[in-house]
Amino acid sequence: MLEVRDLRAGYGTIEVLHGISFEVKAGECVALIGANGSGKTSTLKAICGLLPVRAGSVTFEGERIDRLAGHVIVERGIAMCPEGRQVFPEMTVVENLRIGAYARKDAEQESDIAAMQDLFPILRERAQQDAGKLSGGEQEMLAIARALMARPKLCIFDEPSLGLAPKIVAEVEATIARIKARGITTLLVEQNSAMALRLADRVYLYESGEIVLTGTSAELRDDPAIARAYLGE
Amino acid sequence: MVEVLQQILNGLTIGGVYVLIALGLTTVFGILGISHFAHGSISMFGGYVVFYLVTQQGMPLAFACLAAMGAGFVLGIAVERLAYRPVRDASPINAFIVALGLTMIAEGANLQLFGADQIVIPTNLQSVFRIGALTLTELRFYIILLTAGLILAMTLYIQRSKTGYAIRALAQNRNAAILMGVNVSRITMLVFAMSSMLGVAAAVMIGALFAIAPGVGEGLAIKGFSVLILGGLGSIPGAIVGGLILGVTEALAAGFLSSAYKDVIAFLVMIIVLLVRPQGLLGKHS
Repeated sequence: MLEVRDLRAGYGTIEVLHGISFEVKAGECVALIGANGSGKTSTLKAICGLLPVRAGSVTFEGERIDRLAGHVIVERGIAMCPEGRQVFPEMTVVENLRIGAYARKDAEQESDIAAMQDLFPILRERAQQDAGKLSGGEQEMLAIARALMARPKLCIFDEPSLGLAPKIVAEVEATIARIKARGITTLLVEQNSAMALRLADRVYLYESGEIVLTGTSAELRDDPAIARAYLGE
Repeated sequence: MVEVLQQILNGLTIGGVYVLIALGLTTVFGILGISHFAHGSISMFGGYVVFYLVTQQGMPLAFACLAAMGAGFVLGIAVERLAYRPVRDASPINAFIVALGLTMIAEGANLQLFGADQIVIPTNLQSVFRIGALTLTELRFYIILLTAGLILAMTLYIQRSKTGYAIRALAQNRNAAILMGVNVSRITMLVFAMSSMLGVAAAVMIGALFAIAPGVGEGLAIKGFSVLILGGLGSIPGAIVGGLILGVTEALAAGFLSSAYKDVIAFLVMIIVLLVRPQGLLGKHS
């Protein structure tokens, strides 16, 4: 479904991605893991059109998307739940959900809002509150629901557990597992490798802008050398 | 007491005009962080066009206004495409200098095309209404009605319409808005177009109420920015509240002290407000 080949990108004169290649097949959950600053988030930004691609290609459903503007990529069916949640703080919860469906033109958007509120009851309770007034965990739920409002073919999560209390992290994990169970293809970036290994079918390990290791979650989990060297266990 | 109410009524008329200018400036600032100084002078171009259409072409005022607001819409798009878009990703000082240059171009063009004489847009609204002891000219009545209508329409558009959602989202978080599928270029262009359209409406009201002359546009832009700072940069309710407060303060100062001091008092009120609330009356960020 998504194929990234020899992707290079960077900021100013500094290149941070030195030829990244990976793929996500339909229905799969793929995780990108690795240390802070290894290029995971930059990869996601390049896929979504927020960071210019300098070389290499990004192909989605057989078509090149690496030269397209960000909003066109969303229309193709890729939604991202960005790092640090990035809800619109001065819009209400319902307004945030509504704008999640901005690229859609069908008539089922209002019923999807109700469906999201069934999935996350807190979003019904706080429907008319400004999103900026929610707690971190509630904002994460809103950001996930907002991404789902686009009815994406591929849903990308960037560090969904970052800065959240352990109890909330477990809730986020359960939510992503449910989304995966619905058959939505997901690409997950996580520093919490234990969580990533539980959720993902396959994993790519980043180190300073390159992929140094790949395999199924089970393979990586069961290899004691890898676990010691990369996963901090 | 009657005199106070009378001045407040007068102040609301001009305050509404300030709101129209400030709404344009605040939406542009919210989305691009640009201080669009040329807004006043470009709006005045529309005022001149209405004067020309009414006096030289004999066009009815209402049609002339609609034509000029249409022209303002197109002019706003042109300004964004030709002047601001090339510097969109450059350092903010570039946009600042573009804005200053654009002001000079607009003022110069107005002077070349329409001359240095002050003009008043003629209306045949002559009657005067009496509400108890208060008086309200027909012209002011229609201006209040029209500004209220335009402010309401603009507010509803931004609060309720899909494009309005995109405008707010873009102002609050640019990257997140792109991730929702918001086309930044299209929305930016539209915001400039709507701002200029409202600006032209304001210029026509100034031209009918007082007069249009070289420099009036620049003065109006300064008033507009005062309103923004008073109400809170980028805040739409702030622009409305700030504009009305500035208008009423000016009118009260002109009525009870001297019209020579009206700007002094208005800016004094602004300074006092900012001492207490540096982020502006309805501004969220300090």
